[in-house]
Amino acid sequence: MTREEDHAMATIVLDPVTRIEGHLRVETRWDGPRLAEARVAGEMFRGFEAILRGRDALDAPVITQRICGVCPVSHAVASCRALEQALGIRVPPNGRLLRSLVLGANFLQSHLLHFYHLSILDFVDVAAVLEADSSNSAVRALQAWVEAEVRSNRVLPAAPFLPQWPAGLPPEARWAGRALGHYLKALEVRQAAHRMAARFGGRVPHTATLVPGGATAGVDPLAVEGFRSELASVRGFVEEVYLPDALELAARFPRLADQGVGPDQYLTFGAFEEADGRLWLPAGVWTGDRLDPLDPGRITEETAHSRYRGADRARPLAGETEPAPEKPGAYSWLKAPRYEGRPVEVGPLARLRVAAASGLPEVKEAGERWLAPAGLRLSDLSGVTGRHLARALEAWMLIRRMETWLDRLDLAGPTVGPYEPTASGEGAGLVEAPRGALGHWVRVRDLRIETYQCIVPSTWNFSPRDGRGRPGPVEAALEGLEPPQGEPRGLAVARVVRSFDPCIACAVH
Amino acid sequence: MARTRREFLKDAAMLAAGLGLGSAPVPRLALALEGLAAQRPGLVWLQGQSCSGCSVSLLNGERPGPAELLTRYFSVWFHPTLSAATGDEALAAVERAVNAGGYLLAVEGAVPLGMPRACTVGQEPLVDLVSRAAARARAVLAVGTCASFGGIPAAATNPTGAAPMGEILAKAGLSVPHLNVPGCPAHPHWIVGTAVLVLHKNDVTVDKEHRPTAFFGRPVHDQCPHFARYERQEFARTPGEDGCLFKLGCQGALTHADCPWRGWNGGTSWCVRGRAPCTGCARPGFARDPAYPFFRLNEGRTA
Repeated sequence: MTREEDHAMATIVLDPVTRIEGHLRVETRWDGPRLAEARVAGEMFRGFEAILRGRDALDAPVITQRICGVCPVSHAVASCRALEQALGIRVPPNGRLLRSLVLGANFLQSHLLHFYHLSILDFVDVAAVLEADSSNSAVRALQAWVEAEVRSNRVLPAAPFLPQWPAGLPPEARWAGRALGHYLKALEVRQAAHRMAARFGGRVPHTATLVPGGATAGVDPLAVEGFRSELASVRGFVEEVYLPDALELAARFPRLADQGVGPDQYLTFGAFEEADGRLWLPAGVWTGDRLDPLDPGRITEETAHSRYRGADRARPLAGETEPAPEKPGAYSWLKAPRYEGRPVEVGPLARLRVAAASGLPEVKEAGERWLAPAGLRLSDLSGVTGRHLARALEAWMLIRRMETWLDRLDLAGPTVGPYEPTASGEGAGLVEAPRGALGHWVRVRDLRIETYQCIVPSTWNFSPRDGRGRPGPVEAALEGLEPPQGEPRGLAVARVVRSFDPCIACAVH
Repeated sequence: MARTRREFLKDAAMLAAGLGLGSAPVPRLALALEGLAAQRPGLVWLQGQSCSGCSVSLLNGERPGPAELLTRYFSVWFHPTLSAATGDEALAAVERAVNAGGYLLAVEGAVPLGMPRACTVGQEPLVDLVSRAAARARAVLAVGTCASFGGIPAAATNPTGAAPMGEILAKAGLSVPHLNVPGCPAHPHWIVGTAVLVLHKNDVTVDKEHRPTAFFGRPVHDQCPHFARYERQEFARTPGEDGCLFKLGCQGALTHADCPWRGWNGGTSWCVRGRAPCTGCARPGFARDPAYPFFRLNEGRTA
């Protein structure tokens, strides 16, 4: 993780960045104690857009879900919405609500996974758990296990929890016991969220029931009540454990509040259809101090430093995806999406910023209930711990909204509209994934896919430099980073990178 | 961590459930689980051209759940989504594992044989890494349809020359025991059950596709709750309609898996219970042929 750390111009490379989705390489150059230049690279390519070309239009939601096993539901919804627009397919209110419920359940499992299983090991000294004085039986069992492991002659004792960063983690027993106990508990709660998604999605990952026109699953009252009772248990965990832990993280690591701040330009497509088709979370673009309406016509993708041939700076439907693995100057399989030519951050922080500026009442409530007692304001959330908090707040807001969607389901109404497609057309399916704005663009001719392009949340956040040399949002968030003496630089980099919740299989596809 | 005979029996019963074989294999599975817990073999998990869906699916396992898998049954030497070690530390963990040898290697995702740059770990092409890791493994599990058969990355026009693990092993001339655990994603019980059987005296019956017959022995269609409706020709004609889904494009007749018995997400539901046709996600040909769509709703709608 550390190369030439003693030299003034050190290079530190993280490859592979583990505990994320996918294959990510981060290369950083340091000028003394300060990170001078960062390059983030996606290292895996499959070619979904080429694979989709020429196929039956209805293959798209099945295939595009497989872009990502963490956020398949977002891809299914984006794909269905794009096809509904292209082929003129109507969705009944129940279909919209079921979609929002399945999407919401998957947001919850994703946020829990990200906080506890992907991120928390960057903030906890696992060995310190041995000193924890806990009455929790799971924590005691974990202590006994870690103790036996570190004494054993196993090839990698206490893997996958060890080895950890060699320094920089707080050796605090109480925090370690609490965080690791919650790591284990969250494994179960995440499963409950996925069971919720399966009640109307058929199964997850990779749902079966989401089709253009709605969801095939129907509104079985038993499924509704089962969903409701599991939602209540997830709500209990979010209120009693997840939010308090995210707040404690912010309190324990105050320095990380303004580390890893992005370009201060945020974009969201908005998401979660209400029964009438309006979106619960609003779309918009927040630039420093101003909220602007979203204009999808201002989105372009650039390929100057991406391993593709073809037009630089293209609008989504004009984009091409011709791989050029050895292209000179290219360093990533990600393209570089830009809004009005600028890099923008997407994700929970962007959604929260735009929702707050739009006056969404739930945001105000969340701020009053959770942030104010901790002496925090929404506008304070911008760096590493702010992103974790934004995710936790969103989970809480979302659960309460999901309760109202359950109440609005019409037990007698249809959940999927009639399939009466026009043969050809164009559509854009804009939605949100847990990691941010997700767009699918499709052109259909004679019910076959002529062109398909996706711009995925991590494509925005982890984009390489564009034609003008402007770094992507994560690159920009890393540049200027200055960790204190004694903290491994790799750890400081990893904390920033993981706070964006990278999903690289998605980003490249 | 200590575990009682009773707990092994419970886990074994969950894994066996759905085999359609009654309770006969349960004591045998319990013995295999007990052996596994005593030994806690190393598990090295590598990802290729994958979506991580099989890793997420593994976390959805209940009895044994992920906490038991991590601490009681396996020693997870490396898993890209779970390992604390990052960057050079992660590469070092993989090297230490490979040097030690004797682990179970699980590979998720296809391998881009035709374009090695399309998947690298620490700048090493994945094809080299999985070949090195397989050479020192006790057995290789291809987890999911991509690793088993190529899956979506290998669908026409296969832009990266994506290949399944069987092809990689053949190319490297390795004769290590190799099992395919297909499914998009693979069911957690299929993954764990296969691992248990292969690690316990390699006691696993496979078909010509290297699939354990315990999980993939019979077509979905034969076990489907709609089978009688199929016989009576009570077909759903539009999405969401009740009835056998055959006319909508259901591929249950071609797909060998035990979903109707086992269910997904702790038995909560499965595709057909959600009135969605089986997409054949565990089938060797899943998604490969563009002329064979998942839904037959567009048939006859265009010239």
